[in-house]
Amino acid sequence: MEEEKKQAQNGPPKEKKKLFSNFNYDKYYRLFFFIPIIILLASLIYLGIFYFNTGDIIYKDVSLSGGTSITINGEVAQSQLEAPLKEKFPDVSFTQLEDITTRKQIALIIESSVSPEELQPKIESILGYSLNEENSSVEFTGASLSRNFYRQLVFALILSFILISIVILIMFRTFIPSLAVIFAIFADIAMPLALINIFEIKLSAAGIAAFLMLVGYSVDTDILLTSRALKSREGTLNSRIFRAFKTGSFMTLTALVAVLPAFFIVTGLPDSFRQIFLILALGLCADLINTWFTNASIIKEYCKRKGIN
Amino acid sequence: MKIGLRIWILIIVLFLAFLSIAPWKALEKGVYIRSVELNSSAFEMGLRQGQIISSIDGKSISHLEDFKETFSIKNYSGENVKTIIITDQGEFILFSNESPEIIVSEIPKSNIKTGLDLSGGSRAFVKAQDRDLSSSEVNDLVDVVSNRLNVYGILDVQIYPIFDLEGNNFMLVEIAGATPTDLRDMLSSQGKFEAKIGNETVFIGGEKDIASVSRGGQGAYIETCAISGEGYICTFRFSIFLSPEAAQRHADITQNISINLTNPEYLSEKLDLYLDDKLVDSLFIGKDLKGRVTTQVSISGSGVGETREEAYEDAENSMKKLQTILITGSLPYKLEIVKLDTISPTLGESFTKNIILLGAIVFLIISTLLFIKYKRIKITLSVILTMFSEAFITLGVAAFISWNLDAPSIAGIIAGMGTGINDQILILDESVSNRHISLKERIKRAFFIIIGAFFTIVAAMLPLFWAGAGLLKGFALTTIIGVTVGILITRPAFAEIIRKIGD
Repeated sequence: MEEEKKQAQNGPPKEKKKLFSNFNYDKYYRLFFFIPIIILLASLIYLGIFYFNTGDIIYKDVSLSGGTSITINGEVAQSQLEAPLKEKFPDVSFTQLEDITTRKQIALIIESSVSPEELQPKIESILGYSLNEENSSVEFTGASLSRNFYRQLVFALILSFILISIVILIMFRTFIPSLAVIFAIFADIAMPLALINIFEIKLSAAGIAAFLMLVGYSVDTDILLTSRALKSREGTLNSRIFRAFKTGSFMTLTALVAVLPAFFIVTGLPDSFRQIFLILALGLCADLINTWFTNASIIKEYCKRKGIN
Repeated sequence: MKIGLRIWILIIVLFLAFLSIAPWKALEKGVYIRSVELNSSAFEMGLRQGQIISSIDGKSISHLEDFKETFSIKNYSGENVKTIIITDQGEFILFSNESPEIIVSEIPKSNIKTGLDLSGGSRAFVKAQDRDLSSSEVNDLVDVVSNRLNVYGILDVQIYPIFDLEGNNFMLVEIAGATPTDLRDMLSSQGKFEAKIGNETVFIGGEKDIASVSRGGQGAYIETCAISGEGYICTFRFSIFLSPEAAQRHADITQNISINLTNPEYLSEKLDLYLDDKLVDSLFIGKDLKGRVTTQVSISGSGVGETREEAYEDAENSMKKLQTILITGSLPYKLEIVKLDTISPTLGESFTKNIILLGAIVFLIISTLLFIKYKRIKITLSVILTMFSEAFITLGVAAFISWNLDAPSIAGIIAGMGTGINDQILILDESVSNRHISLKERIKRAFFIIIGAFFTIVAAMLPLFWAGAGLLKGFALTTIIGVTVGILITRPAFAEIIRKIGD
């Protein structure tokens, strides 16, 4: 029994179908470099225009811009509340939460920049009952505090980025490959950020934390690629990059299937929780192209010039 | 197959995590005492927070409903009634004319504590109006406010000083369970109480001037209720006892006041009571009090409401608030609530249900994916088991340090599981490749990448401990615990398992 397994393990490696075996990487890798670069440029331009129009690079929810979020439990008709609330508070917005199995509405979230003292009585008068902790949650963040939060989270993001860059530089001790990794991480943040804006998603404090997480999440494939290409010497450079790709893309794929259900399935509270997983999922997709197109191309070019095969 | 050191470490740590989480608590019956009012009869008889009540008056108590029912049918009509409470720490016999002053809840199902956003409750960030507080000022404030909330009767409260990345200091107030209706008022009103005659201050709130405040029985009561306009008005009255100095001041000031000509029973000036610079009441001063060192002063006020019950309740609340302020004195600064969240527990329950479902779905998808790729049950199972061990140990650590798991913390655990899977795939792929170098060497290479990824995640998460006054600390904490558990315990054990399978 044991013997058989050993046989299976150590026996002649099965001739696997060589995917892309006829593919000439040497010919196309420079081209690959530009695909993500174009997407990144498009994202940056979009973010630039967005900043020019709105004065900020994201849509912020009330936890970052200040205001009130009231979650009313149960089936509450948005149509009943929408018109009269919009009339009094033009910036009011609604989100419905559904149960995943029954598809029944379990709550309605109402957000506005005003204080709960203004918003709550109006809602109560429309609904005809008073809101208490049995039937609702009320969250209020003052404008100046939320501005502080936002500033600090952005600062934290930049700080993380710098700390990570230092870790990368210490790991590889070579400038260009490290820079390639850092560049890929930057692109991993910029692309989902543009997408989040296109989807008009209001970012919460937790959402910004997700961008921090994304940095940590996306970096391991880049480290994998760089260390396989530079530090190991088995096989040709192309085969090492390809092997890294096989491992790395499977890693990203499993990470994706771990986070995507969290976004699609967990529709219960809190909503900020789902945002984390949406951002991670978008970031992982961006990471696939940034690592295996841009970063790989830079590494390939670097090795070629340094004579590493 | 011999079990190596690294696997033993994993097994031992898993066992410790199991002990720390203590899931067998779900089997216990009874209700858990969340808090006991200080100096109440229940407290004096020895009931304490953390005890578990299993029976009352011979009737077994397994749920909160049993507890509520027992006291709802008990007949308190002024007379002292005997109550026998059996807890896990012995039997207590109470004689009281009201139900015991304790707050109970269902027994926690394990040592895992959930945060406010999942279990319900309220949370307030408080800072001083128009000025920045130093950290020692915030500490003072925490003491005063804790005292005030305790005197007011809010028991299940935690108050801490916190600071953020920019050096701002706040006071964080967290109350589990039901939110008191006037929490906002209790936190933000400075509670500066002054009793003045003319422009001269006779006494102020706080222990310096006020020796004691009557809070029940003959010394504090609702006096009358009457129809007023479209609603009702109820008046309350309670006695306070001044300190000798304040009483002397009262004597000195009243000495020079003449008798009221139109109302000769009283002095010509009144004792005006101000709360936060607003006149709340004016009391006539009896002519016998002129120049006398008197320690007892009767304070009155009123409450209004649409119905008699509402007015009565309003009067009771106002009396309680005024008593609290008189006992605890004013806060050192004018305060401002910059963030106030009151979270209903209802949605938290469905969230927890969803998380378990999510776990099952992710488990299925990842198992399938791994099996398709590696085509070996043993490998698939080791990856999945390692992933869940990691999450379980992270929960164990969270329970051990009494961390309240909020939604960001749970997101951190899931994110940590994601990176864990990544690392294991790396070890697997590294171990099946390059057969001409030793397996040990190949696994060592995998660890170079794993350690690199570990440090980058820690570096990414670190700033979150302080940014935004630590609201997202949970996310950073569980992620860092998860990846640390990974690198120290589960990853080495997994590498050993793979070596064993590979041999």
